[in-house]
Amino acid sequence: MKKTLLELKNISYKYENNLILNNVNLKINSGEKIALLGKSGSGKTTLISLLNGTIKPTKGEVKLFNQSFEELDLKQKRKITTIWQDLRLIEDLSAEQNVNCGMLSEENFFFALKNLLNISSFKKAHKYMKLCRLHHSIYAKKIRTLSGGQKQRVAIARSLIQNSNILLADEPFNNLDPALISTIKNLILENVDKNKTTLIALHKLDLLCDFDKVIGIRDGKIFFNLKKTDLKKFHLDKLY
Amino acid sequence: MNKLKLNYTSISFLPILVCIPLGYQLITNLHFGGLNLFQEFLISALNPKIDNEIIINVINRLNETILIGFISWLVSIVFGVIFGILSSDIFYRIFNIPIFLSKLIKLFLTIIRSIHEVVWGVLLIQIYGINLSIGIIAICIPSIAVNSKVFAEQLETIDYKKFESINQIHGPKLSSLLILIWNPIINTFESFGLYRLECSIRSTVMLGIFGIGGIGTSIFLSFQTLNFRELWSYLWALTILIIISRVIYKKIKFTNLNKWLSFFIIAVSLTTILFTISYSFYFLFNNFVDLNYFFKSSTDLVFFDFLKLILDTINLSLLSTGIAISLPPLVIGIFNNSTSKILIRFFAFFLRLIPTPILLLILLTFNNPSLSLAALTLGLHNAGITSKLLFANLDNEDKRTYIAMKSLGISKKTSWLFGLFSQQAKSYLSYCAYRSDIIIRETAIIGLIGSVGLGWQLQESLSSFAWQEVTIVLIAYSSIAIVGELINGKIKKRLT
Repeated sequence: MKKTLLELKNISYKYENNLILNNVNLKINSGEKIALLGKSGSGKTTLISLLNGTIKPTKGEVKLFNQSFEELDLKQKRKITTIWQDLRLIEDLSAEQNVNCGMLSEENFFFALKNLLNISSFKKAHKYMKLCRLHHSIYAKKIRTLSGGQKQRVAIARSLIQNSNILLADEPFNNLDPALISTIKNLILENVDKNKTTLIALHKLDLLCDFDKVIGIRDGKIFFNLKKTDLKKFHLDKLY
Repeated sequence: MNKLKLNYTSISFLPILVCIPLGYQLITNLHFGGLNLFQEFLISALNPKIDNEIIINVINRLNETILIGFISWLVSIVFGVIFGILSSDIFYRIFNIPIFLSKLIKLFLTIIRSIHEVVWGVLLIQIYGINLSIGIIAICIPSIAVNSKVFAEQLETIDYKKFESINQIHGPKLSSLLILIWNPIINTFESFGLYRLECSIRSTVMLGIFGIGGIGTSIFLSFQTLNFRELWSYLWALTILIIISRVIYKKIKFTNLNKWLSFFIIAVSLTTILFTISYSFYFLFNNFVDLNYFFKSSTDLVFFDFLKLILDTINLSLLSTGIAISLPPLVIGIFNNSTSKILIRFFAFFLRLIPTPILLLILLTFNNPSLSLAALTLGLHNAGITSKLLFANLDNEDKRTYIAMKSLGISKKTSWLFGLFSQQAKSYLSYCAYRSDIIIRETAIIGLIGSVGLGWQLQESLSSFAWQEVTIVLIAYSSIAIVGELINGKIKKRLT
């Protein structure tokens, strides 16, 4: 039987008197590849922010490894990585420095300092950047000089280098060329670690084929939570 | 009759109305006893004393000035960064420390900042006597607080989402902090920190007038002996020093910080921290002050007289601010041709260069001491500074509207007013709001020399070692400056 990694129990989240999520219950098991669907503003980003502990629910409990978020130690918290919709890269640092930031959790203070001074090793960063199809000519370029697609891949490389057990991604294929989407999707779902638990918020329905489970959110509620094989067209029609 | 509509452009000109009461008092106080001296002062500008003795003296005095200015700049920048980090919210968010501690540090720094370096200098001279290290300490105390405010403000601009994203990696807290603050600090150092070297040099000159040493002392001694040719030799030397420092800091760019320069910056910062902390302990243990001494003194301050001094100080600040805001756009707008602009720039440069106490003493050659004269001095000096910014902004402004208006046959002055100045009146006013914070603090220097407001009382109380009075005056000064800063902060917020 698969182990439950993440659990949302009766979660509600209010922001400025607007109920964004309403009584959400969700279990995510180890090794599952989950696609999260829903219209813009349905609560996908809020759900991801609750799962990675960035925000606290107004009501209910978020559990990771059967413990509430507050009880987790740093080592356990490091097991979650997020690819944010707005990327959240450090604009004044180079692409390789940003990717190296993903290793902050396993390195000490001097690594951060060496990274800023450009004297740390970028070998591992380059490996992941290469996997994300980033050309070596942009490795040392500042983030603000890169295109949207390049920034997106830097953000993905930064998350992959963290090598954590759970990967949460909020629309990670937004800025990518169609030719690259499939490559990057395979990279996130398969190539790096087949046992990784992945939850990806998506808009492109043609990408659903490689997922085990599909969750639909509508108006802050879980509308459906199905195995990929059980998903029918009418589910999607009702969702959108 | 059309009503006057208030907009940023009209608000920039309205404060010039302060010149009506000011001008009236200045005219009634006019005397011609020192006109010859004033004439001699102006002529000496073109004929400074140049001989071996003066050249050696200038070099020695400049060395002292650079030494005091540079050390105080270095210490105040390094500690400004440290206190800037400690008073920024990001530090407390990363380390999960209650945010009220940041408010406490901010309050402490605001109080320290509210007292001008000259007041700190005069105070410390009275306690510890005259030496170079007192000059450095006097400049460092408020400068650390000023720098920390600027660095903290920049750190507050770090996007919360970036903080979340780095914090979510759950690396060592110090690493996360470093990654987030490194670039804002380097950028602020480049845009603001290097400019502060010029400010430190100016402060050193100002403190020199009060006896700390360096070129300021020579300037003051030359003035006291009415040796204007010698005075101008020092002023020209100071001009060259300021121009060189400005050229150097404009050349330094940190956009591509290489590793050796980074190592150098870190090594210098660490050395400065270690040296400053050890010297502070050395200084405190070797210059122990008996606090009982302070409490033994009594106060003879009469409430209503003291209240009048406070009102005088507020008046002085308002009148000077009025001149500093309105004079530059008015003069540039009226004399709007290239020759006049060169002359205005030249004149403004000298208003900035000549320390306010000397400027006041020069004006005293043909006018009796009064609040108006003190306000004029402070206003003119600061108008020199605001006009520099105004010129820089006007040079960078998009001139298409101005050209289009002129091509329609509208007069040059009207086109300048509506096509050029009006476009950046808002940012100009915002800078003036910041400048008025400084003007409030500078009223102390003018007061010390010109016998006006609380500065005069401070001088009197210090001379008679009436420490309780000194404390009351400083509290009053600090309160005026803090209230002024709060009001200006609100104005700046509305303007940006």
